[in-house]
Amino acid sequence: MFLYNLRVALLSLRRNSVLSMVIVGGIALGIAVATLFSTMRHVLAKDPVPDKSRALHYVRLDNWDPLKPYPGDDPTRPPTQITYQDMVSLMRSDIPVRQSGMFKANLYVFPDPKVGRPTKQMTRLCFADFFPMFEVPFRYGGPWDRHADQGPEPVVVLSEELNDTVFGGANSVGRMLRIEDREFKVVGVLDRWRPPVKFYDVTQFAVQAPEAMYVPFNFVRPMKIQTVGNRDGWKSAPAPGLEGLLASESCWIQMWVELPTREKVEAYKSFVDAYVIEQKKTGRFPRPLNNRVTPMMAWLKEQRVVPNEINALTVVSLLFLAVCSLNLMGLLLGKFLARAPEIGVRRALGARRRDVFVQHVIECEVVGVIGGLLGILLSLAGLAWMNGWAKTLLTRDDFFRLDLPMALFAIFLSLLAGLVAGLYPAWRVCRVPPAMHLKLQ
Amino acid sequence: MSSAATPALEFGPILRAMKRNKVRFGLIMMEIALTLAIVANCVSMILDARREMARRSGFDDANLLSVRSTPFDPAFREDGYLDNGLRQDLETLRSVPGVRAATNTNFLPWQGGGSSTELRASGSKGEWLRTQIYPVDEHGFEALGVPIAAGRNFTAEEVESSAAVFRALRASARPRGADGLPAQKITQDVVITEAYGRLAFGGNGPFVGRMLEDNDGDLYRIIGTIDAFYNPYGWPIHEYAVFYTNKNRSYEGGAPYLVRVEPGQGEAVAKAIEQKLLAVNGGRNLRVRTVTEIKGQFFGSKRLVASMMSGLVVLLVFVTSLGIVGLTSFSVAERTRQIGTRRALGARRTDILRHFLLENWMITTLGLALGVLLAYGLNVGLVSTVAGARMAWPLLAMGVTLLWLAGLAATFVPALRAARISPAVATRNV
Repeated sequence: MFLYNLRVALLSLRRNSVLSMVIVGGIALGIAVATLFSTMRHVLAKDPVPDKSRALHYVRLDNWDPLKPYPGDDPTRPPTQITYQDMVSLMRSDIPVRQSGMFKANLYVFPDPKVGRPTKQMTRLCFADFFPMFEVPFRYGGPWDRHADQGPEPVVVLSEELNDTVFGGANSVGRMLRIEDREFKVVGVLDRWRPPVKFYDVTQFAVQAPEAMYVPFNFVRPMKIQTVGNRDGWKSAPAPGLEGLLASESCWIQMWVELPTREKVEAYKSFVDAYVIEQKKTGRFPRPLNNRVTPMMAWLKEQRVVPNEINALTVVSLLFLAVCSLNLMGLLLGKFLARAPEIGVRRALGARRRDVFVQHVIECEVVGVIGGLLGILLSLAGLAWMNGWAKTLLTRDDFFRLDLPMALFAIFLSLLAGLVAGLYPAWRVCRVPPAMHLKLQ
Repeated sequence: MSSAATPALEFGPILRAMKRNKVRFGLIMMEIALTLAIVANCVSMILDARREMARRSGFDDANLLSVRSTPFDPAFREDGYLDNGLRQDLETLRSVPGVRAATNTNFLPWQGGGSSTELRASGSKGEWLRTQIYPVDEHGFEALGVPIAAGRNFTAEEVESSAAVFRALRASARPRGADGLPAQKITQDVVITEAYGRLAFGGNGPFVGRMLEDNDGDLYRIIGTIDAFYNPYGWPIHEYAVFYTNKNRSYEGGAPYLVRVEPGQGEAVAKAIEQKLLAVNGGRNLRVRTVTEIKGQFFGSKRLVASMMSGLVVLLVFVTSLGIVGLTSFSVAERTRQIGTRRALGARRTDILRHFLLENWMITTLGLALGVLLAYGLNVGLVSTVAGARMAWPLLAMGVTLLWLAGLAATFVPALRAARISPAVATRNV
């Protein structure tokens, strides 16, 4: 019966091809637009480490000016980053199973002169836990171990791209690379790691690509490395230069901890509060106690990783689909009612109302699915066009991708649109009385 | 129904016909209402974005180049070597044909940020007022293309002496008194924007000769002001700026330059610069970008969103028009016999045409009335998320007009077809 209905539906579509094109085209446009914009939002909003983002927490302390809160939209929020001295103290805690303070710097890399000129490369200074904590994929080798943090030992992890330019893509584990004025040993090369959102550091532009290389945090002092991220301060440093910065109230370090259980979260919060209360005795932290240990997704939301414009566009695109669906409903109503005489005959010949209803609902769903598939194809074209923009804006061309959940969402939307648009027309047409049209015939 | 019927008399039958087809006409009304709501709000957001993109910075944006030198040669670690390099670079830049001015500053228009600090009128005990703050040299304003509105510019001697003061400060910690503030206060000369002057001192100047202070008690003597300044910042301080004078160069950070060229010479000069500077000293990398390019990057995502919204508006009006064509066609097809009967009873073609146009006009108007309410509702919803995209009411009026016209245009073809129906149809069976 279903196959029969399907055939009838396809025949009906073929009978009036111009009208069918308008009907299917309209729904395809609606699905394309809704899928395109929902995908755009989804790329930014989806959980970057789904299996453990709940355990990952971002740490903030309010060490700001006693006279006024940290500037921003919400005066109750502490600074977005923490100071060097606080990071060092917090890292002494053994409550988190993994933890890392981190920042980004721009360091000179000196490849073999035969390969190329020295180039500045974005570098993340972090601790060994960074890699397992964020499930960073490795192609060769792996992260350095925690001992290397303490030395610090001159070890470096390279991104796939930097390994391509410097070592021609070979397994470079164990090879040496000069960074600034020191030789570093390569311990790992990342596999293609391109999270759309640089979720571990959203203090600046959230959609940057990850850094090109990673070196132990503690090189900050011996190599006098300055951050190229935001540095917020309210009080002048006690001394000039890097030593002054390290001892100052300047906030420039992102701090992440992995706390897998509720108990650990509570324990860590108490630990942080106790630390700040202790520090208050030395005259630091003049503001009321306001420390935050925020779960990753809540932090990303607070930092508005999905811009408001994108949210607005998504709403508008769903409304657009609603208009297309209304449109479809009107056209189907007309189309079905024009067929009333034929339905009358079928009803008179014994077709039940239910048969007529089901047949028409299936016809609507056929329209929905064909339109939906066309819409997905159209949205793929739209995403390719948007990736062209992303290439110039973000220097990455694989930013917008239709993943399986979004493809399923698109199919769901098209079935829904077909159903919403089709139910009423199908109901109307199944109530056509058999006799009236017979008389007219 | 006589051919002389006035339009007023036609409302009755149309309304009765609409009542019989409530759902179908309701659909079209809803569609038009939603379309108006979306179009009006999208166009509001598009215009908002365009307004923001059209804001003038006050600088000669079109003719500015950013040049950044980042040294890797360890020789650059030495202050004397750096200063020497700085002077050579600036002389070289100024010697390139087509260059009007070159300066050493870390201010970069449209980069979407910069550096900031908090100051207040000296002795005011008032609130600390955040402002952007940048070091420039004596060619800074000439390079930006901003005239000094009042007072005077920095001199070359002031740049040298100020750089010496900062160098001394960098060398050792400042002794601090019991209050934790530096025992010895520093006074530096600054040029500020008029907007920051108004914020700090209230009223309209003159601000030259007045003092600002920071929370270390250091003083800032205003020697000049500039009028036009707009540089978007993460905090709402886009028009506030204080310029002091210093040399911007270090081994780690390199040396940033702003170069102003003769109109239209940007590309040519940009090409020449890199080679010339590398010839002066090859122990570094250079990056040359036009400010136009930087501005394009800054507004890139905004422009992307705006162009997608524009596309959406066009598609939406298209889809809705298609819907009106479809529905009117059905309504004509369904009423073929009735139209034939009316024609046979003496109705003229224009009467039939007018009937359909009027019918559609009524539906469109009802839809638009509903749409105005929806547009308002959506705007309240959107304004709460997208700050600033408040609905422009004249725009709504334009949207109404546009959709009225689109509705009429979309009805016209099927209505003409209806008018062509022959009176003979009435006598035939369908």
